[in-house]
Amino acid sequence: MISRHQRILFWVLIGCILAMAGFLFWERERARDRVSSLADATPIDAPYTNTESITLDLANDSDGSITATTRQIALPDEATARARALLEHLIAEYALPGSPHPLQSGAAVDDVFLLPLPVNGHAIDTSTNPATTGATPTIPVTDPNAIKPQSPGGELAVINLRSNFVNAHPSGVEVETLTLQSIIGTLHANLPQIEQIRFLVDGQPRETLAGHADLLRTYPSRDTTVQATVPDATP
Amino acid sequence: MTLNLAFKLRSLLAARGFNVVMTRDSDSATEPNTPNPLTLDDRAGIANHAHPVACLLLHATASGNGVHLYSSELDPTSGEPSANPWLTGQAPWVVQSQRLQKQLGTALTRGNIPLVMSRASVRPVDSLTCPALVVELAPDGSDADSLNDASYQQRVAEALATALVFWKTQAQPPDRLPETSATPPPAPAGARP
Repeated sequence: MISRHQRILFWVLIGCILAMAGFLFWERERARDRVSSLADATPIDAPYTNTESITLDLANDSDGSITATTRQIALPDEATARARALLEHLIAEYALPGSPHPLQSGAAVDDVFLLPLPVNGHAIDTSTNPATTGATPTIPVTDPNAIKPQSPGGELAVINLRSNFVNAHPSGVEVETLTLQSIIGTLHANLPQIEQIRFLVDGQPRETLAGHADLLRTYPSRDTTVQATVPDATP
Repeated sequence: MTLNLAFKLRSLLAARGFNVVMTRDSDSATEPNTPNPLTLDDRAGIANHAHPVACLLLHATASGNGVHLYSSELDPTSGEPSANPWLTGQAPWVVQSQRLQKQLGTALTRGNIPLVMSRASVRPVDSLTCPALVVELAPDGSDADSLNDASYQQRVAEALATALVFWKTQAQPPDRLPETSATPPPAPAGARP
């Protein structure tokens, strides 16, 4: 003879099992919806299919070198989208297994802004001597600290990094410096109109990349391909 | 780990007649919950006031291998005033810093310690008014635990101390500074962010 309280316990357990089964089914449906929304491949930008030869300045932690490497990649024509795509390809190289400069995979660059230098802009003055470029600042630069171009048409690139990339970046003078030099060198090789580069993180200035490399200064765009310097051991 | 290397270097330099100024000798000086924690600018100020023959900023990292020596990325200036002198104080000293970098690099190479030498923008090296280098200790080979190896740290410290003894007799103020601003060369300052 089964006692009354055992029957009650039995039916309570059955109820719990059914409730849990319903909850699991509901969670499964939610997860499926979430995955299917992420897999939505509807294109936002016009497709670009023509591959071209571009140069990536790739870093190597073991010897502190930056080496120019050629890749065939399809890039958009518009300059800011091109700069952003270049940097995403660069960071993706570092996320590959066995990378000599391992970084976390995932989106690293939120935006790239290209601003004409000086930041108050240039205008073409056709009344000037045709032998010259005819480019004059629209607003006279009176600020002695203003960022000036080396040549008319020069641009300042502002790279807005994602905080999840910066927060996961390995800490160290060499590894952080190599990341910045790799970015600077890659932009210099492929977008020669960029003369200076600044960094933001989630739209805000940040002191360092991961505790060492300065993110507040303006970096000149330059060829950063270097080999490890080993001094002669003889005096 | 970095303090261990700093203490070893301090002992070796003191034994060779140097007066070593360290900007901290414990981890508590820079912890955020410490009253008035030392900032990077504070530490650059301490080093600048000491008028040292060399400023070394000691760091450690688990990536790469050997020792990484970095001098400032500033371009050497010829005397023109800067928009922000505090952030470009190292400019007149860059040539001296690169000479020091070469001497330390030679000593480390002789000690069979893997070496990377380059230039980097790491605060507060650009604010130091002395021959200044960032010295980053990385693992000896691929073994990350070697960072804590006392004998490895001792080898690095001995190579640095040997080079600094030679450097002490060669340190000169940069051309554009008045003679009195850097003539007494009493000590290298071990500034460690």
